[in-house]
Amino acid sequence: MKRQPFCGSVSVAGLGLRQYKRGQAPMSEQGVLVRTIVDACEDAGIDPADVDGFVGYGDDHNEPVRLMSDLGTKELLLNTQIWGSGGGGIAATLGVAAAAIATGQANTVVVFRALVQSNSGRMSAAVMRHHLNAHIVGAGVLAPAVNCAIRAQRLFEHHKVPRSVAEELVRVSYYHGSRNPEAMSYGKDLDVDVYRSARWISEPFRLFDCSRENDGAGAIVLTSTERAKDLRRKPIRVLGVANGTEKGWGDLAENDLQYGSAGFRPVARRLWQQTGLSPKDVDVVQLYENFSAQGVMSLIDHGFCTFENAADFIRFENLIAPSGKLPVNTSGGNFAHGFIHGFGTVIEAVRVLRGESANPVPDAKVCLLAGGPGAPTVSSALFGTEDL
Amino acid sequence: MRGLGADEAYWTGLAQGEVKVQRCSSCNHWHVPAVWRCGECGSWDLQWHTVAPRGRVFSWTRTWHEFGAPRELGLPFISVVVELDDAGGRRLMGTMADGRAEIQIGQPVEAEIIQTTFEGETIPALRWRPIAESATRAGESS
Repeated sequence: MKRQPFCGSVSVAGLGLRQYKRGQAPMSEQGVLVRTIVDACEDAGIDPADVDGFVGYGDDHNEPVRLMSDLGTKELLLNTQIWGSGGGGIAATLGVAAAAIATGQANTVVVFRALVQSNSGRMSAAVMRHHLNAHIVGAGVLAPAVNCAIRAQRLFEHHKVPRSVAEELVRVSYYHGSRNPEAMSYGKDLDVDVYRSARWISEPFRLFDCSRENDGAGAIVLTSTERAKDLRRKPIRVLGVANGTEKGWGDLAENDLQYGSAGFRPVARRLWQQTGLSPKDVDVVQLYENFSAQGVMSLIDHGFCTFENAADFIRFENLIAPSGKLPVNTSGGNFAHGFIHGFGTVIEAVRVLRGESANPVPDAKVCLLAGGPGAPTVSSALFGTEDL
Repeated sequence: MRGLGADEAYWTGLAQGEVKVQRCSSCNHWHVPAVWRCGECGSWDLQWHTVAPRGRVFSWTRTWHEFGAPRELGLPFISVVVELDDAGGRRLMGTMADGRAEIQIGQPVEAEIIQTTFEGETIPALRWRPIAESATRAGESS
C-alpha cells in the first residue's frame, strides 16, 4: 500500500506530570494544571507565555482561555478538544497539534489533561456521564468497567483467548511500576494469588484488572522539530497519528461488528500506512489499559498478535524491559504507574525514547502509544527518535 | 435521558408492552440505534416493526460492585447484550432475571418489560430469562 506521509516535522519538546493519590491533590484542578504546564515549558526551555495553542480530550473542564492570565499567554491561536469523553481521544490530540504546527496555525502547542476529584468527581463516573442513555442505564451499564467487561467476556468466551493473557499483562504493568519511583505501586510487587482472589468488579474483571484513578495533570509541549532542536531537550518526533473509527463501530448501543475488539483496527491500519512502519518496527509500546482485556484487544487490533496466538505473544517474559521482545508499559501503565486519564502513557512514550524511563529500553527508536481502547472513537500515535 | 436521537418509538413501544425495531422500507436494513435517514440507501422512509422479544445472549457480565445502577436490578446483576431472532441480527441490551444464574454466550432468552428508576426518572428496560433451545427459531430449524 502506498505510504501517505503524516505531517512529520513536529516533535515533543517538553513534558510535565504531577500525580497524586485520588482525592489528595494539594490544589484545585486548574492550579495543578498550571503548575504542570509550566513544568513542561521549563523542561523544554521555553517561556510559558509563548505557548499559543492547546488541545485537550476527555471532556476536560479547563478551557484554555482560562489559563491565559496564569501563563501570561500572549496569543491564543489553537483552542480545541477532541470529541468523545474517554481516553479514546488521547493520541488524537497530537494529530491536531501537529497539523496546526505544520500548517502554521500555531507554533507552540500544549496537549494536556487535568483531573482532580474535588473538582470533577470520580473519573469513571465523569467518563460514563458522557455516554449515559436510557438503553444502557436500564441494563445497569453505569461504569466503563461494566461496558468493557461485556466486551471482554466476548473475547474470552467466544474468541477463546485464554484469560491468563490478561493476567500476564497486569503482571507486566506491576513489574515495571514496582521499579518506578514515581509509580503509585513503587516497591510493591503484585502477588498473583492476591490478583486471582481479589473481589469481583464486573466479571471477568476482578479488582486488579481495572486501572486506578489519580488526581493530577499531564502536559506536553509540541513544536516544529527544527525549533525543538535548539531547545533544551532531545526532540522526540511525532511520526504518525490516527484517530476515529470506521463503519460498523461507534456509538451503536452494543451493535458494533468487531465486538471482541478495542476498536483500533482501522486506526492501526492508517497509522501503519502513514508511517510505512509495521508492528515489527516498534521497539516499545505504551498501552492505555483501562481494563486488562482491553489492553489485550489493543495489542491484537494493532497487529502484534491474533486471537489465536495471543497467549504465545502476551507473556510476562516477552513484555518486560529490558529483556523482553516488546516491552510494554515501562512506567507501570495505568494499572501501576497511575491514571490521570491515561496521560502517563503519553509521558512515558517520550521518556522511554529520551532514555529517561525507570525501566529503560536500550536503543529504543520507535514507541507506539496505543490510546484509550473500546471507546466509540480511538486513537494511536507513533513516536520516534529520528525522522522516518 | 432517552437520547439516541431517533428512538422515541422504541420507548413508546415498551410503554405499550411491545418491543419495536426500526427497519428501512426501501432496503430492509434493520437499524439499532434508530436513525432519521437510512445511511445504507439514503431513504427517509423508516418503519417500526413489533418483533418477538426473543434472541440469544451475545455477551454478558455479572456486576458485583455498586456503581449506582437502578435499584430494581439488585446486586449482583447480569447485564446482557442479546442478538434478536427477528431483527436482522440487531442487538438489544438488558439484564437477566436471576443475577446469580449460570449464563453462557448463545443461551436462548426471552424478555419481559420492567420499569427501572434512575435519578428520579422511570426507565423501561428488558429483563431476560433463559428459554429452552427448542423454543427458538434456530432450535426449530436445526
